[in-house]
Amino acid sequence: MCLALPMRITAVEGPLATIASPGLEQRASLMLVPEAQVGDYVLVHAGFAISVLDEAEANETLELLREIGAFAADDGVEADDAG
Amino acid sequence: MTEGERILLSHGSGGRLYRDLVKDVFVTAFANPVLERLDDAAALTPQGRIAFTTDSHVVQPLTFPGGDIGRLSVAGTVNDLATAAARPLALAAAFIIAEGFPLADLRELCASAAATAREAGVPIVTGDTKVVERGAADGLFITTTGVGEIVVAHELGSAAVRDGDAVILSGSIGDHAVAIVAARGEFKFSADVRSDCAPLWCLVEAAVDAVRAAGGSASPDGAEALRFLRDPTRGGLTTVLAELAEESGLGIEVEEEAIPVSPAVRSVCDLLGYDPLTLANEGKMVLVVAPEAADAVVAAIQKTQYGREARRIGFVTAAHPGRVALRTPFGTRRVLDMPVGELLPRIC
Amino acid sequence: MTQADELRRLAADLRAEARPDLTFMEVCGTHTMSIARYGLRELLPEGMRLVSGPGCPVCVTAMADLDRVVALARLPEVTLATFGDLIRVPASRTTLAAARAAGADVRVVYSARDAVQIAADEPDRQVVFAGIGFETTAPTIAASLLEARARGLANFSVLSMHKTMPLPLKALLELGETPISGFLLPGHVSVITGTACYEFLARDYGVAGVVAGFEPHDVLRALLRLVRQTRPAIEIEYGRAVRPEGNVVAQRLMEQVFAPGDADWRGLGVIPGSGLALRPEYADADAAERFPVDLEPPLEPAGCRCGEVLRGVTDPADCALFGARCTPEDPVGACMVSSEGACAARYRYRGIDD
Repeated sequence: MCLALPMRITAVEGPLATIASPGLEQRASLMLVPEAQVGDYVLVHAGFAISVLDEAEANETLELLREIGAFAADDGVEADDAG
Repeated sequence: MTEGERILLSHGSGGRLYRDLVKDVFVTAFANPVLERLDDAAALTPQGRIAFTTDSHVVQPLTFPGGDIGRLSVAGTVNDLATAAARPLALAAAFIIAEGFPLADLRELCASAAATAREAGVPIVTGDTKVVERGAADGLFITTTGVGEIVVAHELGSAAVRDGDAVILSGSIGDHAVAIVAARGEFKFSADVRSDCAPLWCLVEAAVDAVRAAGGSASPDGAEALRFLRDPTRGGLTTVLAELAEESGLGIEVEEEAIPVSPAVRSVCDLLGYDPLTLANEGKMVLVVAPEAADAVVAAIQKTQYGREARRIGFVTAAHPGRVALRTPFGTRRVLDMPVGELLPRIC
Repeated sequence: MTQADELRRLAADLRAEARPDLTFMEVCGTHTMSIARYGLRELLPEGMRLVSGPGCPVCVTAMADLDRVVALARLPEVTLATFGDLIRVPASRTTLAAARAAGADVRVVYSARDAVQIAADEPDRQVVFAGIGFETTAPTIAASLLEARARGLANFSVLSMHKTMPLPLKALLELGETPISGFLLPGHVSVITGTACYEFLARDYGVAGVVAGFEPHDVLRALLRLVRQTRPAIEIEYGRAVRPEGNVVAQRLMEQVFAPGDADWRGLGVIPGSGLALRPEYADADAAERFPVDLEPPLEPAGCRCGEVLRGVTDPADCALFGARCTPEDPVGACMVSSEGACAARYRYRGIDD
């Protein structure tokens, strides 16, 4: 139930943001993290961003997550730019 | 019949209106000499053993990224025949249409079914149409039945599978299910995913040819190294593997890292809590082949249109009989069980 | 170094440094799932136990609350919006899935905001949102309720079954049924709450706690921190998402809409102050008040040991129903049907040698 996914903010329109993960785009509310800006990575839970991820630490996770995805990508999956 | 018209109850009544509908929509789309005779039954001349299968298609929505119910109904039955190593010979298509369904939509879906049938090299030779009251059938249900000519002499299936056989998957999983979820719009996201809905006879034929060419087989037609074929539709890859393990009484081990999942499917699964291994696919095949033929089969499938990402994902084992083990990227192993509950209804 | 290598290195460190016979408890359904899914128990040192506590919001929802949700769903004017997790949970006599099959208007949503939108799109329906979840989720419901108000949607209401985390931990320690050396504290709940609310664990009970993320390396790193502490303390391993002060905006939203109330926890009984009730100024959006229903007494399924499992007293495999009468396909108790329940996690992700 506490599923939350790190996603990147690509656009902001008032209280809503467009957030992206590889191959996926969604809207989420920024009501709980009003300080978040375009380019930030946020943790998204049930349609709301709940935390702005510390960039340095987030990159570490994303790198590790990419490693799992990267195993599949290396073997020829139609790899989007995984960034 | 003009555009802007809709299906009426009287279209299903068997009279002139019905006859006009059949000629104008179905015969026009599916165009072949057998169908054009409009007999109640089509006469065929199959060679050798035949495979026979039927499938109903109730997918919602009717159209989705990468396909529609028309394409799905043809590909689904062609693929069921393919799992018996049967070249599709002829299809029948029965339509149940709700009163009020737009004729233009029906034409488009039939055109799609026809294109898929042409791609698969199989004619739709007979069919039926019924019309039901508005609101029933959610617009349209299609049932397709297919006959195919089996091109191998031996019996494919779970009983043919042996300890040490290779398990091959023809490509990425989860695409169809995620495309449907996205198209339904209940969870508002847009994903870079298209249904993989496709007819796979060519892919299976390539596998059969590769097995024969690899040689060293005991059976007269040289294809015995091809043990088992199944397409992971509802219930996904997990269900195919779990059923195979149960039916064969052998164990199966697969590597999580080897199973291709597109980044978008992975993202959606992470977001919604789905497991890609249990999601429906409509253009993928699981093949079990003798280990000495595996590389040749993978290479052959990779040359086909829908098999570019084919790879070995695991093997059959005498260990843990009846159960499927998944090796995680961390080297630990866990059991893969058949999924439970209807996560995604009306998926195909 | 690959993920697998790092994990093996962390596991080796853990084996080298851990005293024997340590028991750690995780209290978050997502941890339960993550640990099971990646087979992390296989990597733990011999003698170290990792038990599941009351961390699955669905599993800890009392039967009476589940019965109320079903009763509301059955009202002809009600559209019951819920997270998918609740659909198959056995209430006293039925499930939401069965109610839906019998004609109840039950809709699965990913976000409470989607439920608000349903209320906007369908003004003649009474949209009731089944509010389950801990502090991660409660602020999103608070925000959605405020949005509904701002949009003038009188047909949106919430049935709050929300609960908060720190008090059940206290209740568990007071019960003293299982010696707990430390807690893996919930990662996303703590994003909202921060860590001050857990200080009492170390201060008053001498029990350590580390807020952990959900990737395998997060869990092992957190366990290593627990093992390395010289005196019990509360730490954060999940620093990329969790700050000691938490998410103050979310906390304020929660406080604006909810007040602490009593909550009935399956397995733990009523814990005063551990629930979130809608404040009087939001009573008009309280589904329990708007739709009073008569309920028959709740029925606990015979032989079900979910309560003991939730307290970490009974291992799922030790329940006589586990895997036999109670399976994910045919569940008896909530711990098996919820995808984050300890029993479901143990069953679905069991090791190949189990």
